[in-house]
Amino acid sequence: MKVSLNWIREYVDLPADLTMERLAFDLTMRTVEVEGYENLSEGLKNIVTGRITEVSPHPQADRLRVVLADVGLPAPEQIVCGGSNLEVGQMVVVARPGAKVRWHGEGEPVEIKASKLRGVASAGMICASSEIGLADLFPSGDDHEIMDLAGIACRPGQNLAEVLGLDDEILEIDNKSLTNRPDLWGHYGIARELSAIYGCTLRPLPICTVDAKLPACPVEIANDDLCRRYAAVAYAGLVNVPSPLWLKVALTKVGMRPINNLVDITNYVMLAVGQPTHGFDRTHVKGEIRVRTANEGEVLELLDGRKLVLGPKNLVIADRENPLGLAGIMGGRQDSILPDTTEIVLEIANFSPTCIRHTTQAFGLRTEASIRFEKHVDTQRVDQALGLAAKLFADIVPGSRITAFTDLNLRPTVPPVVAVTLSFLSTRLGSPVTASDVEKSLNPLGFQVEADGGLLRVATPSWRGTGDVSLPDDILEEVARMIGYENFSYRAPVITLEKPVNQRPVQLDRNLREYLAFRCGFQEVFTYPWVEDRFHEAAGFRPEELLAISTPPSPENSRLRASLVPGMLETLVTNLRYFGSFKVFEVTQVFRPGAMSPSVPEEVLPLQEKHLAGAMAGSDAGALFFEAKGVIASMARFCQMGPLSFARMLEPVWAEKKVWLNVMAAGEVIGSLGLLSLKTMKAAGIKNTQAVVFEINLEKLSPLPSRTNGFRHLPLFPLVEQDLSMLLDEAVKWSEIEALVGPMVREVEYVEEYRGKQIPAGKRSLMLRVRLGSEEGTLTSEQIEAQMQSVMKKLNRQFGAEIRGV
Amino acid sequence: MLEKLESMRSDSLAEILSAGSPEQLQEVRQKWMGKKGLLTEVLKELGKLTAEERKTVGRLANEVKEAITAAIDRRQETILEEASAFSGEIDLTRPGTAVPAGGLHPITQMAYDLNDIFRSLNFEVYAENEITSELYGFDHLNFPPEHPARESMDTYWIAGTDEKRGAERLALRPHLTGASVRYLQQHGAPARFVYPGRVYRNEATDARHERAFFQYEALIVDRDFSFASGQLLVKSILEKVFGREVDVRMRAGFFPFVEPGFEIDMKCLVCGGTGCKVCKQVGWIEVMPGGSPHPNVLKAAGLDPAVWSGFYINIGLDRLVMMRYGVDDVRLFHSADLRFLGQFR
Ligand SMILES: [Zn+2]
Repeated sequence: MKVSLNWIREYVDLPADLTMERLAFDLTMRTVEVEGYENLSEGLKNIVTGRITEVSPHPQADRLRVVLADVGLPAPEQIVCGGSNLEVGQMVVVARPGAKVRWHGEGEPVEIKASKLRGVASAGMICASSEIGLADLFPSGDDHEIMDLAGIACRPGQNLAEVLGLDDEILEIDNKSLTNRPDLWGHYGIARELSAIYGCTLRPLPICTVDAKLPACPVEIANDDLCRRYAAVAYAGLVNVPSPLWLKVALTKVGMRPINNLVDITNYVMLAVGQPTHGFDRTHVKGEIRVRTANEGEVLELLDGRKLVLGPKNLVIADRENPLGLAGIMGGRQDSILPDTTEIVLEIANFSPTCIRHTTQAFGLRTEASIRFEKHVDTQRVDQALGLAAKLFADIVPGSRITAFTDLNLRPTVPPVVAVTLSFLSTRLGSPVTASDVEKSLNPLGFQVEADGGLLRVATPSWRGTGDVSLPDDILEEVARMIGYENFSYRAPVITLEKPVNQRPVQLDRNLREYLAFRCGFQEVFTYPWVEDRFHEAAGFRPEELLAISTPPSPENSRLRASLVPGMLETLVTNLRYFGSFKVFEVTQVFRPGAMSPSVPEEVLPLQEKHLAGAMAGSDAGALFFEAKGVIASMARFCQMGPLSFARMLEPVWAEKKVWLNVMAAGEVIGSLGLLSLKTMKAAGIKNTQAVVFEINLEKLSPLPSRTNGFRHLPLFPLVEQDLSMLLDEAVKWSEIEALVGPMVREVEYVEEYRGKQIPAGKRSLMLRVRLGSEEGTLTSEQIEAQMQSVMKKLNRQFGAEIRGV
Repeated sequence: MLEKLESMRSDSLAEILSAGSPEQLQEVRQKWMGKKGLLTEVLKELGKLTAEERKTVGRLANEVKEAITAAIDRRQETILEEASAFSGEIDLTRPGTAVPAGGLHPITQMAYDLNDIFRSLNFEVYAENEITSELYGFDHLNFPPEHPARESMDTYWIAGTDEKRGAERLALRPHLTGASVRYLQQHGAPARFVYPGRVYRNEATDARHERAFFQYEALIVDRDFSFASGQLLVKSILEKVFGREVDVRMRAGFFPFVEPGFEIDMKCLVCGGTGCKVCKQVGWIEVMPGGSPHPNVLKAAGLDPAVWSGFYINIGLDRLVMMRYGVDDVRLFHSADLRFLGQFR
């Protein structure tokens, strides 16, 4: 919202030494966020008024004229101009060197320099209104028409900004910070805050006194919950003409386009006090005004030309026959203020915020009026608008008079009285406050404070009484912000330590991530919970069986992942563009249809479990697979959790049939690892690579109660290391070898395997390492030889192993 | 004999000096001092001499022997000093061997930094499910029934539930605050806990806006907690994060679940408050909203607002990480792009 400082000054005299920086700071700290401020005269520097003293043809160009203009200097300046409406004696706008203008009202501002135009010297430019950003104030017929200051009191050489009243600071206020403050949606409300902040007096608004003998302007309200108050003022003797300059300027400065005097008055009232108003052409109103809900299918054409098909949830202003306007949002095209209007019914009313919000959302229609009504304006605001409107009509439209008047105030806003204790305020503020402190803070804002010992009864003003202020905590906030948050000293909280925090599952989550990142060389990634259907499908999920978002980021991204594998596939695609080999992981929740109630039984949520997934890309499938297997195998020991093991029980859909394993914990399948199958890679668009993926359900891991990895005594006598290499049938698995050799030696370890030249088909060469030792003494070479012999014999007998060397 | 010994002394010393390697030196030692070494042979002949001769020759022979031994020792040290353990050339400017490339996501790093700070203050870490209900996402948090955030323009409702209400209407959580009520319902008060996580908003994305982003919320609930204490908490946290003193200001802000509510700003670290592009020329950067839990929120959590009060802070993790590193596009956090993520080790 834009706020004009000159407009604020109509209501309050601000301290003379107040800088804009200070004002913006104070308003931001105490009331609403000032996003920025700008002096409009900044953009009009070196732009002055000038009187044309001579117009002559340009020797080189038919369309140009050579103009002499009095710009307040001792001698007239010569300016070349292409304007179509130049006349001697005309008051025009001259951009002198140093001024910035937009050529033909377009593009970035360009600085004017003294120059030659087609051979003739020109000391500036005579401007069209669009070239200096004033097209709204001074509409022109065509591009070539220069801005004419006829009728505006000025003399040559004055700054244009001063002449037009544009020498003003405009504040930009963040609308979000105004959400809960219906009182601040007009200049008067902001002025009230400033008067409270700086301790200066807020001037009262004009009051409307209506002759009691005036006839009624009949109004019927069907539902006083939807329309709480409706004042209808009939004005006659009107004439629809452009507004006086001051009014046009006041509106333009805060971003509202001037239309005509009658409409401009209604807009000015709204921007001043925050109460929307609307004028209907009285000659179009047949019978009484009816405030009612629309009939199903009723059609209304709005001021902007949109035709709406309404229903019973929409509130309309109608006459005996037809709807005239959409209540609180926008008037109808047929019956609002028209070019030939001479009589109006001025509506100043109060509508239900819920009803207004519903209708604006249903039709995607947000207007300045609806924004204000949505915030819940108090009914008393109607009085302010009545008074100000009456004054404006009297001032601006001579001959206007009120001919009929009705004010149905059915459900006046009753602002609450809040009881609050001084001890509550003192404790929560962190410093003691007295009743008079509270009064000093709150009175300027319109609150009335009645003290009874330590108990205060705080009467809320009507403009804060529609929900914004109702609790002791709200009073606390008002007091705190008026004291100024920056004026509170820091105070260390008193905290009692009952027990140390020891959260093993939280620690396990961190251990896992740090293990993968720092020990195993994986990069952590985050992907979205919604995944393109093709990745779900590639990972073996049927999209229609997954949970979906009702308004997804895009149609193909509507399904939520039930596994982290689809996201891993996408991550592989993303990074294979730039890297040949890499390792990534992600830890987060996945979602499945189902039922769980973490808090209360009536809340039933879908199944949500935290998973861990990893993906590795490279060229050697076997190496990748065994690296992944190693990562998972060592996870339990490094991350302080219950052990994991491997088995082949449930084949993952995405895995190559030969190369996958399930991850097991406590006898249950809790995850898988595997090489991506060719089919999966094709479906996901993964090319020219090998990739291994793993996924584990973290909910199934059991963190150890502390770092309880066991301790083993060091051997008393040194162990002897022996390597053993042998030829084996492919059918014989390492696990069998390990199970056989393990009990015969201190330690057995896989070293390497080899297939290829010199190895017969169907066989592999396997090398293992054993460590031998005794608690009685150092082994003799005979003892070593004997132990190795028995190992080799057993391997040969059991598996037909052909020993190739020791 | 004496002459012979003298010439042996000078010959052997010359040979020792010219020995260039431990091997050569060993050869020289063998030649003179070995079992059949030249000096050894001379010493063997001492017995054939008269007692008188033996006295003079013997003394000289010993002198020569000691001289040779000493020279060999000296030469040995010299050779060791001059010898190289590395044969051939080496380019010391070559880069060192790369360490494994893994790392944590910068958001996780920031969350862990914050966890460390909060755990040192005895806060627990709590996590809520990402899919929540309108009951916990809005109703318990004092959002009025018609609040625009409840619209599908703002919140990702789960298909099939968006026409329902309350506990039956489900969404990807729009903020973390709902978790606070769940925790308090379970654990009661007093309580100190943080609950970091990802939240979702249905909005158009650009360099500053994301549909999925990370928040870090902390809540203290205690008897008579003043916001003068809250302010101190905020300041200490930011100083830990940025590793230097920061200026913090709280100003009035409105959020349904707090009363009073604050916007908490930090003096821009880039320009020091004079105004720059990062802070949009304001000198201050909005880092987090905060405030005291609204009495209706405490009631929803089963706590008596007359007894309990507290302080929320809600840190935008994405924004904080962007400030820490100068990242200029929030969408990079979900890009899974290793060219980006690899920079935060
Ligand atoms: Zn800055």
